[in-house]
Amino acid sequence: MNWKLPFDIPLVIPTMGLPGWFFDSLGVIVFVVHIAFIYTLIGASTASVLYNIFGVFKKSKTDDLLAYKMTNPTTISENMGALWGVAPLLVISVLYTGFFYTAILKVSPHILHIIYGNIFAFLLSYAYKFSWHSLHHHKGFHIAIGLVAVLTFYTLPPVFMSMSNLYLQPELFASVQSIWDIMLTPLTFFRLINFFLTAFAFTGIVMIYLGVKWVKAGGEEEAVGRLAIDQGKKWFMWAAPVNIAILPLVFFAFSPRISEAYIHTPFVFLPFAASAVLLILFFFLLKRFSNEEMSLSDATKSMVLMVVAVALMATARHGIRVVSFAEPLQLQAEATEKYMTDVITEYKAHKEEMKNAPAVVLDPAVSLADSKGCLACHSVDTALVGPSYKEVAAKGESANILTASLKNGSIGKWGETPMPPQTLTDEEAKTLIEWVLKQK
Amino acid sequence: MFDFPIFEMPTIGLRMLMAINAITHVFVSHGGAVGGSVVLALAAWWTNKKGDMAGYETVYRLLMVFFIITTSVGALTGIGMWIHANIISPNAIGGLIRVFFWKWFIEWIVFNFEVVLLLFWFMTWKQKALTSEGRASSVRTGAFYAISSWITLLIIAAILGFMLTPNFDGQPWVDPEVYPGKVNYDNALFNPTWIPGVLMRTFSSIAFAAALAIMWTWILTTFSKNEEIQETKERLIKFFARIMLFTVPVAAAFGYYYLLQIPEAARAMIPTAMMTRAFADKMDLMHMIISGIGGTVVLTTIIAYFSPKRMPYIAATLMVSAFLLFWGYEERTREFIRKPYLIYNYMYANGIRVTDVPYLNKVGILKHAIFVNEKDKVINKDKSNLIEVGHTVARIECRACHTENGINGLKALTAGWSEAAIRNRINNLPGGGTPYMAPFVGTEAEKDALAAYIVSLNKRGEIK
Repeated sequence: MNWKLPFDIPLVIPTMGLPGWFFDSLGVIVFVVHIAFIYTLIGASTASVLYNIFGVFKKSKTDDLLAYKMTNPTTISENMGALWGVAPLLVISVLYTGFFYTAILKVSPHILHIIYGNIFAFLLSYAYKFSWHSLHHHKGFHIAIGLVAVLTFYTLPPVFMSMSNLYLQPELFASVQSIWDIMLTPLTFFRLINFFLTAFAFTGIVMIYLGVKWVKAGGEEEAVGRLAIDQGKKWFMWAAPVNIAILPLVFFAFSPRISEAYIHTPFVFLPFAASAVLLILFFFLLKRFSNEEMSLSDATKSMVLMVVAVALMATARHGIRVVSFAEPLQLQAEATEKYMTDVITEYKAHKEEMKNAPAVVLDPAVSLADSKGCLACHSVDTALVGPSYKEVAAKGESANILTASLKNGSIGKWGETPMPPQTLTDEEAKTLIEWVLKQK
Repeated sequence: MFDFPIFEMPTIGLRMLMAINAITHVFVSHGGAVGGSVVLALAAWWTNKKGDMAGYETVYRLLMVFFIITTSVGALTGIGMWIHANIISPNAIGGLIRVFFWKWFIEWIVFNFEVVLLLFWFMTWKQKALTSEGRASSVRTGAFYAISSWITLLIIAAILGFMLTPNFDGQPWVDPEVYPGKVNYDNALFNPTWIPGVLMRTFSSIAFAAALAIMWTWILTTFSKNEEIQETKERLIKFFARIMLFTVPVAAAFGYYYLLQIPEAARAMIPTAMMTRAFADKMDLMHMIISGIGGTVVLTTIIAYFSPKRMPYIAATLMVSAFLLFWGYEERTREFIRKPYLIYNYMYANGIRVTDVPYLNKVGILKHAIFVNEKDKVINKDKSNLIEVGHTVARIECRACHTENGINGLKALTAGWSEAAIRNRINNLPGGGTPYMAPFVGTEAEKDALAAYIVSLNKRGEIK
């Protein structure tokens, strides 16, 4: 295999003596929380625009209120999603530094879209939320703002997932040259379908859960709660079946080295287990499909099943890391060790050499010329940017003229490249000019 | 040593790409979050204590502005710092994460408190404003938000301090002659510019946030249709000006204290950092810039304090602009005076570690540049690919600070130079005139190639 791997960072990984499984579980747990918020962000922002449109066309106040209420989970999940995205990145970039940074570099500058595109979408989603009442009579414009925000949010997962797919498959570092080489692959396609379907299914469950709470609160919120429960079930039941079918396939779309090894590990059962959990949840909701209300305990059960499915997917994804990274990590460690041994040997030899080298006594005028930057453009015997000092001395100009040229700058005597005026004391100028004139 | 794929930013260069994100982040995180949390919590407490409900409502409107900016632009440019560092200096950020992993992890936990408290404070404000117990609890939330904001600054300032002054009383943070390097985490954390940096940043952030609050109070109250809100202008501006009267001098004093902790060589580069090389000798210009910024802040603070009602909008914007200039200069200077290093005495600005230099001088910089095309790595016998190889060397060693033909472009910098002049310059880096440039690393043949490439930049399109 044509491996192209960077060296590891030559500093110890600060594990504090904690075992590997601790970091593995930490990585999976923080990732699950992150992705749960991101699912909610994608789904809730979509729902808010969707029910806003329904509200206009059906002239339904309940739909409009549901749309407005969905801006709160949007705000919370966009903030918490960004925040909890930091933790997995932190864990990954300390454990798999070389692979992660290589992948990020390979998909640059497009990866910066997850910063600037995100800021744009964030600001629009705030504009959408906070202008709800003032733009009440300009629904078309208002919906347009929300729609642009949602569509911008939709552009982020393809970019991020391309990076993540590349970093999970270090054998591709040699062949992938730009983000498109990895984005336009079956793997990214399957994973994106899986991502969006899970996001909508997850949001369905969030809507059911919120709906149950709103019904309980009673009053004006009761009708919205019923609508949320009804719609939440439909969101889940539309999104889940395709997802159930596609989920196990995702894990076979990785490069052959990874997929073949993956089959022989217990991780291979996890995507099927995740599908099974989603299937159970599907029938659980099907049974309650025509109920207008749902008990809090049923809503909680649905939420628990959904989170279990997401956690199983995340663990299955961690399995890819385990399978994929074993060999390149080993290769990287060996290469780094060899490189660093050579580097340190040479560094020590160099230090020894410097210690034994006779001290060079420089003419104070030469040190002064160096510290003032003269030697950037002049040397004693070769013309560089400016003439050599030998040439200057041979021309035979007086010390006064040379001092004036030095202090005020000069052009034309030696060509059209100007010498800028230099700041120095009279004493320093005298030392330098005397030294220059000695160079004949 | 640069063994990662090479990313170049044409025209604006990597430095500017980083600076756009970094300076935006500093404005928002210092002015909006760290200082803003303190200033708004104080204002909420004060208006509530005085029973000034219109003022309390104006503070909510201010909080809304700060909330929108900090949670979007502030938070994401914060993550952006990391992503930008990933693509610009992966070796440096990779090293920093190995050294500061747990501190960053703690910081992330504190971030959770910060974000949750801010969301909670903002989203429950209206509901809690109805009762006095509710308001008291809301003010407490604001105070906790301010504390957690400040702790995040405390931690990140340690990392910034480390990059500039990694050594503490001559005690190394790592032994460069050992692999894998065992880090002395205490020496790395308790570096000499940490606490001075925190103090300087804390008080200048509060002053900056107060200036922002004055500007936004002006805007929100002037354009409000509610007369009661309009009347809060005078009271609130005076209150924020009072915060500035206290914090501006304290920030200046701590700024001076911070300056004293910076290494001599780095301090000597401040004029170049502030005014670029062309004006580096014009000390009076530098003093004019400093006193101009300082004077504007002091003058507008006095206007705001003594004449809050009649304070013109232009004074409020001038005040904020002076702070923006201050932060821009502060960040640029702090980044620049570290040169030629990225982590002082450990890693050069281009990601090459000091320890790597003797070995790479022997085998060449391109030997381990794994993501570079093979044909651009070794000079052919007939030297037909000399310029391509030189270009590769430039992409590795010069990329961090120079573009080909944009900002700080090699082409313009060497216009009119002969190949001998360029070769001499490369040979004598850093040199007295440009102490901020990293030395050339690599073999003599690579040096020739680099010189040939640079000289070719000004010869393109020339008829032979």
